[in-house]
Amino acid sequence: MKPTGVIFFPAFDWAISPTHPEREERLLYTRDQLFEEGIMDMPEVREYHPRLATAKEVSRVHFCVPDVESRVTQAHMVSAGCAMVMADSFMQKEVKNAFAIIRPPGHHAMTVVHGNRGFCDINNEAVMVEYLRRTYGIKRLAIVDTDVHHGDGSQEIFWHDPDVLFISFHQDGRTLYPGSGFTDELGGPLAYGTTINIPMAPKTTDTGIHYIMDNLVLPILEEFKPELVINSAGQDNHYSDPLANMSFTAQGYAVLNQKLRPDIAVLEGGYSVETALPYINMGIIMAMAGIDFSNLREPDYNPSRFKESPGNMDYIRALIDRQLENFRGREAVVEANRKKGREFDSYSRSIFYDTNYLQEEQRLDLRMCPDCCGFRRISSSCVHASGRQYSIYGICLPMACCPTCGERARSDYDEMKKKAGYNYIYLQDRVRDEYRTFDCGSAEETVL
Amino acid sequence: MMNMLIGIDVGGTFTDGALFSDASVVHSVKHPTDENDLAATLLGVLDELLKHAETKGVRRIVLSTTLVTNLLATGKGERTALLLLPGSGMPFSAYSISPDTYFLKGGIDFRGRQIEPTDKKEIEEALRQIEKTGIERVAVAGKFSNRNDSHEKLVMEMIKDLYPHMDVCISNEIAGRLNFPRRAVTCYYTAMTIRQWNAFADGIEAAVRGRVPGCELHILKADGGTTTLEASRRRPCETVFSGPAASAMGTVALNREPLNCVSVDIGGTTSDVCLLIDGQPLYASKGALIGGHLTHIHSFAVNSVAIGGDSAVYEESGELRVGPMRNGVAACFGGASPAVTDAFNILEDLKLGDIQASRTKLEIVAGRLNLQLEDICRKVADIVTEKLKESIVYMFSQWESEPAYKVWEVVHQRKFVLHHVIGIGAAAPAIVPMLAKKLGVTHILHRYSPVANALGAALARPTLAVEVHVDTQRRAYTASPGGLSGPVEDRNYQMKDARKLAERLLREISGERGLSAYADDARVYLEEQFNVIRGYQQTGKLFDVGIQIAPGFIHEYKGVEQ
Repeated sequence: MKPTGVIFFPAFDWAISPTHPEREERLLYTRDQLFEEGIMDMPEVREYHPRLATAKEVSRVHFCVPDVESRVTQAHMVSAGCAMVMADSFMQKEVKNAFAIIRPPGHHAMTVVHGNRGFCDINNEAVMVEYLRRTYGIKRLAIVDTDVHHGDGSQEIFWHDPDVLFISFHQDGRTLYPGSGFTDELGGPLAYGTTINIPMAPKTTDTGIHYIMDNLVLPILEEFKPELVINSAGQDNHYSDPLANMSFTAQGYAVLNQKLRPDIAVLEGGYSVETALPYINMGIIMAMAGIDFSNLREPDYNPSRFKESPGNMDYIRALIDRQLENFRGREAVVEANRKKGREFDSYSRSIFYDTNYLQEEQRLDLRMCPDCCGFRRISSSCVHASGRQYSIYGICLPMACCPTCGERARSDYDEMKKKAGYNYIYLQDRVRDEYRTFDCGSAEETVL
Repeated sequence: MMNMLIGIDVGGTFTDGALFSDASVVHSVKHPTDENDLAATLLGVLDELLKHAETKGVRRIVLSTTLVTNLLATGKGERTALLLLPGSGMPFSAYSISPDTYFLKGGIDFRGRQIEPTDKKEIEEALRQIEKTGIERVAVAGKFSNRNDSHEKLVMEMIKDLYPHMDVCISNEIAGRLNFPRRAVTCYYTAMTIRQWNAFADGIEAAVRGRVPGCELHILKADGGTTTLEASRRRPCETVFSGPAASAMGTVALNREPLNCVSVDIGGTTSDVCLLIDGQPLYASKGALIGGHLTHIHSFAVNSVAIGGDSAVYEESGELRVGPMRNGVAACFGGASPAVTDAFNILEDLKLGDIQASRTKLEIVAGRLNLQLEDICRKVADIVTEKLKESIVYMFSQWESEPAYKVWEVVHQRKFVLHHVIGIGAAAPAIVPMLAKKLGVTHILHRYSPVANALGAALARPTLAVEVHVDTQRRAYTASPGGLSGPVEDRNYQMKDARKLAERLLREISGERGLSAYADDARVYLEEQFNVIRGYQQTGKLFDVGIQIAPGFIHEYKGVEQ
């Protein structure tokens, strides 16, 4: 039997600020626990060495303003690099599955990056997904986000991608950051129904979450038939987490992973550094490696402490019915949207960067292509922490797009270079694996 | 005349001894090892060396022996019970260390807090069972005992009270690092070998004192450092794998430039490959592997390749084969059939022994394969150097891909750039030059390389590593080795205070172990500091400091005469 790949990258020399939840101490006790248990010595586990992500790998997903080097911390570059090390170990069949225990996290980072959102600069899972597609020709994937916060970054990145099923479990957005992830957020017009949100009431327990796993998540995965399942493995549903209000346990997380059987799991949030993280990380490794985890428990664990309320179970059942219906009806909706006959579907929005206190204004167009999932054009402006205002225009061309979209996107890029009013024009050409940045001030173009 | 130094390395096949003085080897001895009487072998070599020394002039004797390695490898250690207090976490089935394992209640967490109390009745019952089976050696290990060993100590006290005839070891006194299974194994092996080691030590000590009164007597450890015979009595396990350590230290003694090298110790049927980074031999990152279990014993990273100077060269089903078995020595040295050394002898015109014998015997094999003599020699050389190269490249990549936990370490990615290949062992002159050519670097063969192991033992200095863990929120520190702990009163405790504490403890332990002369050579190798934040407020600090007298040489060694 092949081992489970594990990369442990606690970034012991990096913090957002000394007392921030994303600080050096976050995975310290997890280190102590993993090392003391000797789990890395077990034949069921193989430990890997981290690497840095390259600017090109990051540019497959993001428009970093002004560029990757000046926008993204080295810590985030290592974190994303680690996720790709795990992807390689899995795809090269060295391991049966893989778990990246890494910080900083990534699932709040969206396509355009002006700063840090929800402790994230870049989206580790999204960078890994595009790497998997480019390097190994994977097409269809599923991301199951089990962080207590809505994975709004991953949702935004894959919103128009019908080949990535994004499912997010989280505490109801009316009660927690980032305030999104409601059931009516189902994906863009040509990728409708491949975004599934599961907002849960505060205090939901293992019983509730496992019920959702069994009756919603697993059936949907079964029907979607992804080539690969990724767990965006946040650990802040834990009853002791200081930033959220759920009642999940380490055993609960281990069972969840036993049910989900992710091919690759990537740590996201989780800020109960002493009471939860050491035990949940152990639990996930053990579940993925097939090691009996019945002896694993938190110091203050009491099996009778949390009971699911009948009222919440009723809510969960209704939620499951609604989302199953949304998922199963998705193709009809996409078909109807395509027939509407508009060339572009446009909308505007504001995005708040909590870490840096930035407000970004965006306008988006999606080409309503009759043959493929279309391509996106984003114009975005934001006053950075430095006080400087940046206005950028970015064009994202997905790998699975048709030749017409490809030509149109490239000619749009050339047109935009002539226009005034932007600092930078970007072209993310995943078909050619070419990432262009045009600096309107100097009229210089860089290509990655 | 300068004081004389003696190093003796008891190996599996041969025992080597060297008498060193005034920057040169005065005399060296090689005897076959009698596995059944290591003491006699050792003393035989010692007596021959002493004939060439003025008795009063010998200042220091260092021994490297396979006693403990053999006891553990052959399962001849004494039957030992293992009492484990694993608390929550891995399943108990993960700990298949001793057939006589007893699991006890009692849990400690990473901050040293008690999670679950011990149960005296349960301990008494386990001890009754152990007593009934007639076991007299007991090892006790608890998870996170290195952060709080009160449970281990309680069990030890109970054993001393109830069954004073039993010998008991607790894991935190043997090895204070994180990794409970390795701590348990190291403690178990210690309990298992401590009596036999002490019996051996008694015999050797008396014999040496009788011959050379007043001479210092040291034992070489797996980490390439020495310890006094007296200090080894509580930690016999540290003496495992001292053979490769002797040869690594010998290599360093003969090549003191701080370069990246690979040393290849070519024996009869195996070759040991070892990396030197900036002139320092590389340690096994996970500790010594003994009997299939990883331990907390610091040992050099040595990769053994099943090929040596005596590996047989023969034909099998129309194919050329090299090793892994040996049919005596090479033909040039009077062997009945051709071996690896013979092929190199012809190819490089080395004029080793009877080169005509090399030729005659190899021609027979060449005839069977329809090859010219020259071709078969080249093929043998290719096979041998390719196998060694593979092993060397593998070791580079292992070192480069060690886990890293800091951004700085990843940004400054390690890269191994090789400068030299150093040949050690009798067959090295035949094989190493061609290997170096294949790797595109120069080679070094020192005239003393055949006795490098004994020389390494003779010249190695003592080593000692002390690690301190300070938790200012809990106002306590713990330290290893020895399971030390104490209070931390200062509310404004800083890294410099933790460093001072580590230095003080190192001095104290050096004193107890008779190593005070080297305490000034200690260097800090680990410094970590974490702020403990609860609710956006700092409530304490955690410090980890490691300080060590690293492997090196005794002060009077200034190199060998060229």
